[in-house]
Amino acid sequence: MTTDARPPRGRTPLLERLADPGERVLALVLLAPAALLLALIVVYPIGRLVYNSFFDLRLSGGQAAPFVAFDNYVLALQDREFWGALANTALITVITVAGALVVGLGLALLANLPFRVRWPVRLALLLPWAMPLAFAGLIFAWFFNTEYGVVNDWLLRLGLYPRQWLLQPGTAFAAVCFAIIWKSSSFIGLILLAGLQMIPRSLYEAAEVDGATRWQQFRQVTLPLLMPSIVVALIFRTITALQTFDIPYTMTKGGPGHATQTLAMLIHATTIDYGDIGYGSTLAVLMFVVSMTVTALYLRQIRRD
Amino acid sequence: MTSESLFTAGRLRLVAAAIVVLNGFFPAAWILLTSFKPQLELVRKPITYWPREFTAQNYVQVFVEQPLATYLLNSVVVAAASTVLTLFVAAGAAYAIARLRLRHRDLILSAIIASSTFPLVTLLVPIFETMRAVGLLNTYPALILPYIVLSLPVCTLVLVSFFQSIPRDLENAAMIDGATRFGALWHVVIPLAAPGVFTAGILAFVNAWDEFLLALSLNSAARMRTLPVGIALYQGEFTFPWHIIAAALVIAIVPIAVLIALFQERVVGGLTAGGMKG
Repeated sequence: MTTDARPPRGRTPLLERLADPGERVLALVLLAPAALLLALIVVYPIGRLVYNSFFDLRLSGGQAAPFVAFDNYVLALQDREFWGALANTALITVITVAGALVVGLGLALLANLPFRVRWPVRLALLLPWAMPLAFAGLIFAWFFNTEYGVVNDWLLRLGLYPRQWLLQPGTAFAAVCFAIIWKSSSFIGLILLAGLQMIPRSLYEAAEVDGATRWQQFRQVTLPLLMPSIVVALIFRTITALQTFDIPYTMTKGGPGHATQTLAMLIHATTIDYGDIGYGSTLAVLMFVVSMTVTALYLRQIRRD
Repeated sequence: MTSESLFTAGRLRLVAAAIVVLNGFFPAAWILLTSFKPQLELVRKPITYWPREFTAQNYVQVFVEQPLATYLLNSVVVAAASTVLTLFVAAGAAYAIARLRLRHRDLILSAIIASSTFPLVTLLVPIFETMRAVGLLNTYPALILPYIVLSLPVCTLVLVSFFQSIPRDLENAAMIDGATRFGALWHVVIPLAAPGVFTAGILAFVNAWDEFLLALSLNSAARMRTLPVGIALYQGEFTFPWHIIAAALVIAIVPIAVLIALFQERVVGGLTAGGMKG
């Protein structure tokens, strides 16, 4: 299409040819920075990670790190802290993905009502999305503060007993999940709202003519047509939930004990705080496998549908 | 419909709006009100919602007693630099994928998007080790380089769809008029894709402004901390300095709040096109 616009190849001076390269060359040049960065920041690190997991590599160690084959992996499988963090991560993922989906769907349905002024509602969905996770963690830590928190203030006003939210394992876990659901449901709400707005009004009118109730309309029209958006939101939410770090780190530091410690927090502590690169890499490889397995299962399910 | 049911429908709508608005704004509004309360009001029971007494003292203290200005500068430098660089890298890749004769273009796009499904914390360990080895810990590039990769998938996706929406004829016309391919890209395609470039830029900026794990791990020295890290690591002498933290949070949230408030529709469009972060 575009080739006829160029002068014939052989006669162009070198300088002009450099300024106007062929399409293939140009494509490679334009893709090169992205490829280089991905190689440097993604591909090489993953290779390095797997390699390191076979060594007893510590930041403090001066000499060459000894090769330990699968020792780190055997250690991890016997490590109760690892299993605890894995269980916490799995539980947080299940609870917050389901919770954020329900809350997000509710927010989207409410926000989809025909308001005359749209921006306050839209901004109310955007603000939690744009707020750093670490800040949400700090703010919710305060809300759940035993002495001066908003949550206990409400409980008292309702005549209920206040709780030591972040000081007891069960309630601390619930509080962390609550904060994550608040933070992530608005993003899901935005995705689902866009999906809702694509459903043609005529479908609802037709359903109404057929005498369908509001609930039937929701079940028969809204949900099926919203499914693609729900699946997209579900996948990205799950992938990020598996990596949960910021909110528990700023709310509870993983405590009390290890009650709210996630896999990402354990890996961070092992490597950055304790300098145990070899073992931390092993934990990271295990996490990588878990994460990729979940992604692959999702993708297989999508392809089947 | 009777006039009575119309009235209740309008009322229900107002309740619905109130729920969504309260849910979205409450934490930010709480922080804003708290930032104007004197320190002693925060440790008094029952707690107050509207400040009994307004003070601007916290905003002075946060700059005097805590190095908030340093954190602010670090966040601005890292977010701005990584945004600009991300746009160059993503625009190049997106143009090649959307426009040029290229084998395996779908595969290349999938590979770029797939990189966003890898857990960041698993990349953190080797990145930390490498940055340490080359002496880049506690420098701006230590964060800027990974942040480009962090935003590359969503920005590429947004830009590919924008480039595809620009009529090819415009480009061809420019080249027939003697423009080189680079010239056509720079003078015709980029200006037409400006809304897309802008949308991608906002997403990249928010990503970088909000990132915590890498910033905490790679740039932990006090003078190199970004806002989320600096504020999360605030320590009081005796108690947690909530009054100062509230003021710091307001200062840190205002820039992105203004950004998304001004460009709401673009952000929503970009998010639903890219559907990434959350």
